[in-house]
Amino acid sequence: MIRALVQRRLATPGMAALAVFALVGLGLIAWRFAAGLGAVTNLSDGYPWGFWIGMDILAGIALASGGFVMAGLVHLFGGHRFHPLARPAILTALLGYLLFILALAVDLGRPWNIWQALIHWNHVSPMFEVSWCVTFYTVVLMLEFAPTVFERLRWPTIRRLWAEATPFLIVAMLALFTLAMTASALWAAGIAVVLLGWEALMRSGVMRRDRQMPVLLIMAGILFSTMHQSSLGTLFLITDKLGPLFYSPILPLLFFLSALMVAPAMVIVEATLSARVRRQTVERRLLTDLGRAMPYLITVYLLARIGDILARGLVLEALQGTFVTAWWWLETALLLTALALFATPELGPRGRALLPASVAIVLALVVNRTGVAIVGLDVPEYARYVPAWPEVFITVGILCLGLIAFRLAVEFLPVYELRHTASNDVVPITSPTHRGLRTARTAETSGSIPLEVPHGA
Amino acid sequence: MRGLSRRRFLARGGSAAAGLAGITAGTAAASTGSALTTSDLATTAAEQRAMLFDSTLCVGCRSCEIACNKKNDLGRTTDEIHEGRPAQDARALAPNVYTYVTLHQWEGAPSTAAFGKVQCMHCIEPACVSSCPVSALHKTVEGPVVWDGSRCLGCRYCMMACPFVVPRFEWHSRNPRIRKCNMCADLLAEGKPPACVAACPTHALRAGTRAELLDEAHRRIADRPRRYVHQVYGEFEAGGTNFLHIAGQPFDELGYRRNLPLRSYRAYTRPAMAAIPFVLGGLSLALGAVRWVVDREANVTAAEKRDQDPAGQEETP
Repeated sequence: MIRALVQRRLATPGMAALAVFALVGLGLIAWRFAAGLGAVTNLSDGYPWGFWIGMDILAGIALASGGFVMAGLVHLFGGHRFHPLARPAILTALLGYLLFILALAVDLGRPWNIWQALIHWNHVSPMFEVSWCVTFYTVVLMLEFAPTVFERLRWPTIRRLWAEATPFLIVAMLALFTLAMTASALWAAGIAVVLLGWEALMRSGVMRRDRQMPVLLIMAGILFSTMHQSSLGTLFLITDKLGPLFYSPILPLLFFLSALMVAPAMVIVEATLSARVRRQTVERRLLTDLGRAMPYLITVYLLARIGDILARGLVLEALQGTFVTAWWWLETALLLTALALFATPELGPRGRALLPASVAIVLALVVNRTGVAIVGLDVPEYARYVPAWPEVFITVGILCLGLIAFRLAVEFLPVYELRHTASNDVVPITSPTHRGLRTARTAETSGSIPLEVPHGA
Repeated sequence: MRGLSRRRFLARGGSAAAGLAGITAGTAAASTGSALTTSDLATTAAEQRAMLFDSTLCVGCRSCEIACNKKNDLGRTTDEIHEGRPAQDARALAPNVYTYVTLHQWEGAPSTAAFGKVQCMHCIEPACVSSCPVSALHKTVEGPVVWDGSRCLGCRYCMMACPFVVPRFEWHSRNPRIRKCNMCADLLAEGKPPACVAACPTHALRAGTRAELLDEAHRRIADRPRRYVHQVYGEFEAGGTNFLHIAGQPFDELGYRRNLPLRSYRAYTRPAMAAIPFVLGGLSLALGAVRWVVDREANVTAAEKRDQDPAGQEETP
């Protein structure tokens, strides 16, 4: 068993370190549930939200945006050649959301009541929207990732059933979601009619139907993600604890735009790093193309962010010598650095700075989200909040758990194995280590299941 | 610090409407669901149970705190209530302290001590109620804002939202509760006044309907205009509250938060929440249309290729 893991490069010192951190995190979580939130956190009645909300929830969810952006790019916007990057991005998003739910359970005071949000609808509450988005988008991600599992288990019948039934499940989910958010049956029916209309057009052959990945599933991913990313910003609209540099009346829009911006950067970082760990070559041409989109995404976000600061007359606020101001400048500086790198093809997209520039964007996002949830908060009556060490180690532990899960998933599931040839057929890579397994699967996928419908059919 | 918070509110209030109007133009008007407008709420609130605190009548005896402690079984001793507290700290609320009388003295004038009272303001449209995902915190028809523990997730969003920094959390409990004044909702239901009002020996606290108490407050100010600051704290603050205060000193000197917006806090999230169905509907239409156009373009490109080169059947993405 151990030898097999060593051969697969799973039992490495790096993995052992991850496991240690994960265990420390789990131990601290046990302590938190035994002794209460006060024992492991520095949270107070003035600062009831802290490190976990900033890192695990705001930053974590934004960094999982690669899932809906890549799925949409590949399956809706015609970017078929990015297909090899879509599955890892969906897997990252799924793991991210599952870990996010774990982190949420740690942060909630009474997590065993979490299901109450599905029963008692307070449709004016942004937190209600957030809880529904988490639940429904996690289901969507599971459905999006399911084909990978079906392929591994060789369940062609189940997969066909999945492709047939998923669209209707999606219509039901989105109609219920709309009903819960608006308390209006009319709106819910309207959304259902629109979605069923598209499905009917596809089934009748007016529009092309993708038998590999139902279009409605991808649409639902984008819809729930858009709502979720923006609703995390909506949460903070009501609080007057947040200082002006990180508060904004357009927080929902800023959160959405920055999540969109960080998606390609996160995909670049992941693909580059996981290729290094797995000692495989990276699909550089695809990453270069993703990098070419970055200047536009960064510019749009920067214009909204800076424009909002200017429109609210906060220039002097941004020039004060406080820690919050420095934090704001850190975000802006990281964004501008990355923009300069990405806008120079020789450095960013095609050059050696692709990874550093992408990392800068990821950091800028983390700085922004922690700015909103931690640094920017100011409650004059209470002592400033600084995270306690168990808070940090619980987050680190959960992150390490995620990395281990990701490593195992890419090892045992066909996540990185789809590669596009010039003919646009999806062909599994034949890697020398698992030749026997792969050959069998190639025969199956190309033989028994007509997975790819030719264009123009 | 206070200056900063004022700037924050000016910055926010001035631009919130303009900024949000850009994204969600006109959607606020089409707000679905709860159809109560602010004026409707004020009309309803007029008949609701409320409380009035007159700082000029308060002698700081803390009978209200003792009565509250007893009524809600909060487990503090009378000695603790009288001694173990920082006298000036307006934020001394705790899971076992629902209400608190603050003492304010001015240098060189020992006889001019004044008192403030801190507890849940029972807003007309409470920020905590509009933020609670499961309506564990809710406003009863009689007026009190109460907490239902069977639903609460412990997300503490109410604490983030409350402009008066009132809800308290049991940080060291395995089954933590949100704790705050509930205006003795059970006593009100029996037609009795809240425990603190009943205990007040100087009638600094009064109970009644909001309309009655508002009239009373304005009458007292009009009768003795030099005794009172000409403001009823809670008449408009945060959209209006069911707990009203009048005082002889400016309210910020008595530890009250000043410069609160005059509309309810729900107004800050309402436009974004009202935009949801429009975003969902718009995206549903737009994404399907994108897909259609993208496929048609792919088809056209493929057809052109076939026309030019009938032998080559390969398609490019």
